[in-house]
Amino acid sequence: MQWTVILKKELTENWRNFKWIWVPIVFILISIMDPISTYYMPIIIESAGGLPEGTIIDIPMPNPSEAMMMSFSQLNIIGVLILTVISMGTISGEIKSGVYELVLAKPVKYTNYVTAKFFSYWLLMIVSLFLGLLASWYYINLLFGDLAFSQLIVAALFYACWLTLLIAIVILYNTWFKSPGLIAFLSIITVIILSVMTNIFSHVLGWSPAKITEYIAIYLHTGDLDTEIWFSSLIALLVSLSCLLFAIVSLRNKAID
Amino acid sequence: MEEGLTLIQENLAILAPLFILQLILMVIALIDLAKNDEPKGPKWVWTLVIIFINIVGPIVYFIAGKRR
Repeated sequence: MQWTVILKKELTENWRNFKWIWVPIVFILISIMDPISTYYMPIIIESAGGLPEGTIIDIPMPNPSEAMMMSFSQLNIIGVLILTVISMGTISGEIKSGVYELVLAKPVKYTNYVTAKFFSYWLLMIVSLFLGLLASWYYINLLFGDLAFSQLIVAALFYACWLTLLIAIVILYNTWFKSPGLIAFLSIITVIILSVMTNIFSHVLGWSPAKITEYIAIYLHTGDLDTEIWFSSLIALLVSLSCLLFAIVSLRNKAID
Repeated sequence: MEEGLTLIQENLAILAPLFILQLILMVIALIDLAKNDEPKGPKWVWTLVIIFINIVGPIVYFIAGKRR
């Protein structure tokens, strides 16, 4: 199978440059950092000193679902940044360095090339995300109170849809531009614009993928799944699919030029 | 100071994984740096960055320290 060969090449490459080690570790660290530091905040403030004698420090402890959302919001910023940066050169870098021509000198299908690239980063994302959220869930149960494991899994699955969209966007830009920096910049800008537009036109864009995190917050708090989370996720997946299709088409057109 | 030490001892089970993960991240970055033939910028600077800047140092190295 050609597809598995390319995938294997990608996985080996990402293993050799330690992406399979450092990305999961970083995801775990950013997921657990906020809940832990919130838990210890009263002690930290107390030992930092500078407060007059007898000051009462009364910071309300977040409930488990709020603590879980701290992890999600960290992932939403730093996680998104890291995913963008590690995948920004995956195709454009190969075009630049000439590896791309070497690969396509063989009868490699563009579809296989693009989807295998996408899948290798998708796999890395899924593994890192689940490890990060699992660690965060463990700490939240330890420090803040019970949160059902099934809730964590469901939330993680929906959140994965959002990150899937992100990777698909980065892959699409990879086939359009040569500079990895520009690709990362445009991907981030796209995500920011999407989030801002969704915030402004919140009442009309109920199905926007950028709202997935919001719906996850509601789900973790109440335990009920909004119908809209299904539509948001479905749209995220459909847009990802079309991004990949566009990526394949634009690579094919590039070859004709 | 002593209070702080007992505090850390009491919470070791909670904090230990955090330190271990940071340590692994640092070691991996150092191994990668050792293998890296032509890093962007001098090696000794990267070594200092990786060792002395928690978490962020290794991440910055992995992202910006290598030539593609």
